[in-house]
Amino acid sequence: MSRRVVLVVPEAPAPDVIAAVNERGIGKSGIRLGILDNAKSNADYLLSFIVEGVKAVLPVASVVSFKKPNASVPASSQVLDRLAQEADCVVSAMGD
Amino acid sequence: MTDLSTLLKTPGASLEAEDDFDAVNELVHSRGWGDGLPVIPPTAERVERMLQYCDRPWDEPIAKIAPRHGDATPLRLAANAVMAGCRPEYFPLVTLAVEAMCEAPFNCYGIQATTHQCGVLILANGPVAKELDINAGHNAFGPGRQSNATIGRAVRFAQVNIGGAIPGLGDMSTFGSPGKYTYCAAENEDASPWEPLHVERGYPREASTVTVFAAEGPHNVNDHEALTGQGILKTMAGTIAIPGANNIYYDGDILVVFGPEHAATVARDGYSKADVRKYLFEHARLPLGKLSQENIERRLRVWPVFEGRFANAGLDALVPVAKRPEDIVVVVLGGAGKHSAYIPTFGASRSVTRPLKRRDGQLARSVGDFRRR
Repeated sequence: MSRRVVLVVPEAPAPDVIAAVNERGIGKSGIRLGILDNAKSNADYLLSFIVEGVKAVLPVASVVSFKKPNASVPASSQVLDRLAQEADCVVSAMGD
Repeated sequence: MTDLSTLLKTPGASLEAEDDFDAVNELVHSRGWGDGLPVIPPTAERVERMLQYCDRPWDEPIAKIAPRHGDATPLRLAANAVMAGCRPEYFPLVTLAVEAMCEAPFNCYGIQATTHQCGVLILANGPVAKELDINAGHNAFGPGRQSNATIGRAVRFAQVNIGGAIPGLGDMSTFGSPGKYTYCAAENEDASPWEPLHVERGYPREASTVTVFAAEGPHNVNDHEALTGQGILKTMAGTIAIPGANNIYYDGDILVVFGPEHAATVARDGYSKADVRKYLFEHARLPLGKLSQENIERRLRVWPVFEGRFANAGLDALVPVAKRPEDIVVVVLGGAGKHSAYIPTFGASRSVTRPLKRRDGQLARSVGDFRRR
């Protein structure tokens, strides 16, 4: 039998998002849809297309939309908090 | 402080593998922990030796690295530093660079996830740069020294393994860059006619610092014929004034690296660093008409960073690459030769300088200050 060695794992696990997702219940009136426009060109067109597509196949209770100031910076924590509070799922689109 | 054997009992902190160099490398690469080159197996013994140069608790996060927002603990960073080939005495600079990279002005999230090609350039200043033999002279951005090669590589591993900058998943760079393997050098303070970067930024000369830049590769600025400082600055300004770099669209830092010979000529003709910045701010400009019509209409005329100056401007209006003189970072680096370099950046990023300090808050005189007794 070959010798064994203990290695230190260099990787950090992803934050525990599964539990948060499991807590989300979809209301009877439909999905609360969140939209995050990454500010790249044409992202707004793509997102409008997706919203209409979702509405065509699923009941949508509400749509809440935000746009980043530019594509190179992350969304602010305030925007992320509002999306977490007001949306059951979020579509974030990249244009160009 | 919790000892290593206890920390390694935490679920997910360690694993057993065949004690064989090739087998460990297979494992590392199959899990996406490497960069394609061979790595040093991060055995518990090697990691513990690395951690002998860490004066903090080994399980206490020093930062969260975006986009995964993983906890950068000394333990994990040490495993990455071992894999990269770092000597233990390099570890204080690895952790310092990671801390700097995670400060808000650097915009780590954007840099990690962008389609742009930037890597994290680590520039060392102060006595520790010499203590660790970080190359500041000939071929400083190239291969040859263990410190340059492995400190940058360790930070890159941390970006991937802790921050989740996995190519095609968390790192969406269209091309990537050779600078994503490693990108580390020291300022050539001995050959500089000006005060070094860390002194400019308010630290004493005897302090040691790292400064991180979200940097493209160096673009050469060849001027073998100019006999005046103004001539060299004119060539530099012309090199900076290009339409394809991110910097035209943003108000972050740009990095200008003077080779010692060019720096001596510029300084001899009376230019301070502030004068250099002023000259380059005023002259590194390109006509609006050099940009595509769509870029003009959809960016230059409407983006807030331009404050409306080009809303109705003609095609001969001059667009500054740097939005303020102080956005131009000037350093001296390299060996003999009439070359300098322009390093475009991600643009939506500020370089961040951090001093090497002991846990008690005092400036470190040497990496030996971090060594456990």
